[in-house]
Amino acid sequence: MKNIFLNMGYFLKETITVMRLNLLSNILSIFSTGLILFILAMTISGWRISAKAAEAIEGEAEISVYFDKGMDNQGALKLVESIKRIEGVRDSRLIGESEAYDRMVKILGKDAQVLKVFDDNPFSPFIEVKINLNAMDHVLEELDHMTGIQYIRDNRDVLDRLGNITHLFRILGYLMGAAVGIATLVILSHMIRLGMQNNREQINTLRLLGAPGIFIAFPFLLQGLLLTLGGGALAAALAAFALKQLYARMAGPLPFIPLPPGGALISGMVIVILSVSAVLGIVGSLLGLLSARNH
Amino acid sequence: MIEAAGVSLKYPDGTVALKGIDLQIQAGELVYVTGHSGSGKTSLLKLLMGMEYPTTGYLKVLGQPIIKGQAEGIRRLRMRIGPVFQEFRLINGRTAMENVMLGMRFLDIPRSRLKEDAHQALVKVGLEHKRLSLVENLSWGERQRVAIARAVARKPALILADEPTGNLDRDHALDILELLASFRDKETSVIITTHATHLIDGKKDAGLIVMDKGNMRWERVG
Repeated sequence: MKNIFLNMGYFLKETITVMRLNLLSNILSIFSTGLILFILAMTISGWRISAKAAEAIEGEAEISVYFDKGMDNQGALKLVESIKRIEGVRDSRLIGESEAYDRMVKILGKDAQVLKVFDDNPFSPFIEVKINLNAMDHVLEELDHMTGIQYIRDNRDVLDRLGNITHLFRILGYLMGAAVGIATLVILSHMIRLGMQNNREQINTLRLLGAPGIFIAFPFLLQGLLLTLGGGALAAALAAFALKQLYARMAGPLPFIPLPPGGALISGMVIVILSVSAVLGIVGSLLGLLSARNH
Repeated sequence: MIEAAGVSLKYPDGTVALKGIDLQIQAGELVYVTGHSGSGKTSLLKLLMGMEYPTTGYLKVLGQPIIKGQAEGIRRLRMRIGPVFQEFRLINGRTAMENVMLGMRFLDIPRSRLKEDAHQALVKVGLEHKRLSLVENLSWGERQRVAIARAVARKPALILADEPTGNLDRDHALDILELLASFRDKETSVIITTHATHLIDGKKDAGLIVMDKGNMRWERVG
């Protein structure tokens, strides 16, 4: 290990020499690895954005509880208090007829004219219950056991769909991760083998001089690391640019979509991509060295 | 330092390169190995470097048995040998100095001494002025001297030179033999193979191994 550290300058020089022997292939490897990692970076970012949106909407998860027509205001308020005590309920509030009407006017906007058709307010009072999405089943079960409740409306369909999108992005992320890993490892191990093939005379000479395996292999390990880190840096730069553009375009027309802070998203993505690059670089180089040794 | 008893070497194609060699070489000896092409000189050197294993018999070099399954021991043995290969095996694209240092980097030589020792080795072979030249730009003789410098800079216990006089005229060949012999001391043995028997005539205080079709005969020179 001491020898490795002391010879770092030599190893770097050797690595550059090895890479210069196949300059075009090495440059193309950096670009192809970079593009593959770019796709991974965008998938990871999409996953994080959708997860954030789902989290925000989940935070707004609420159900509407309609109580018996005959129940007076006092009874409704008592029901509100009972609902608040259910585990998983964050808040519950009585919404009167007029507030329900106003809300619908807001939602319908210009089309609210249609409500004028009715002589009386067509909306019933109800209890708005904010819940933790994970506890929805439990809350609904508890509400079923309560007396005075006529009907419960949940937004399960919407929430389930959002959950599915997040799940899809997660699966895509895993698949992309696997695809990127395999493709990068194949490219890299091929490059390392090529490098060793081109330098086999030197490698044999070092063996005959008694050089340890790690001393012979280190420049090739370094080559793999530089190739993937180069690709990773390229991917990170491209992805950062793409995300900035995406944020700028989404901020105007789609302000209601809750996005994670851009700076944090980009810096997190850069760290992940560079770490993945480094790991793939080391693993790919080791695979290349092993396969070169076996041939 | 080198003990061989009944060593034979048969290649996978069936060629028998060495037949029942018995050998004892002490520390600090200078030994010439001569014989015609194909007599087994290079095969003997390959065995001494652990590049081949004896088919039968027993061989020990600097305390390391040359047997299969001792890869790490043989690697460590090679660290103590200064080889001068027939085809030099210098690394193109590197200077003479870098080539000499390359053979020393993984030895336990203090960093502060690495450059100085490599430089001194080049001075000893008379190539100090070419230390920054790329080896592919050097003449045949100069490249051979770089190979010798790489071998001696390692301060080996055993110098093995395979046909160092090949492709050289008589005067240069004698110079190279003299140079190699000069590195012999009480801790360093030198073994040189050459097919040019006439170059060894008149050499003093050295051993002579005459190889003939895989058999050997031990003589004393001078």
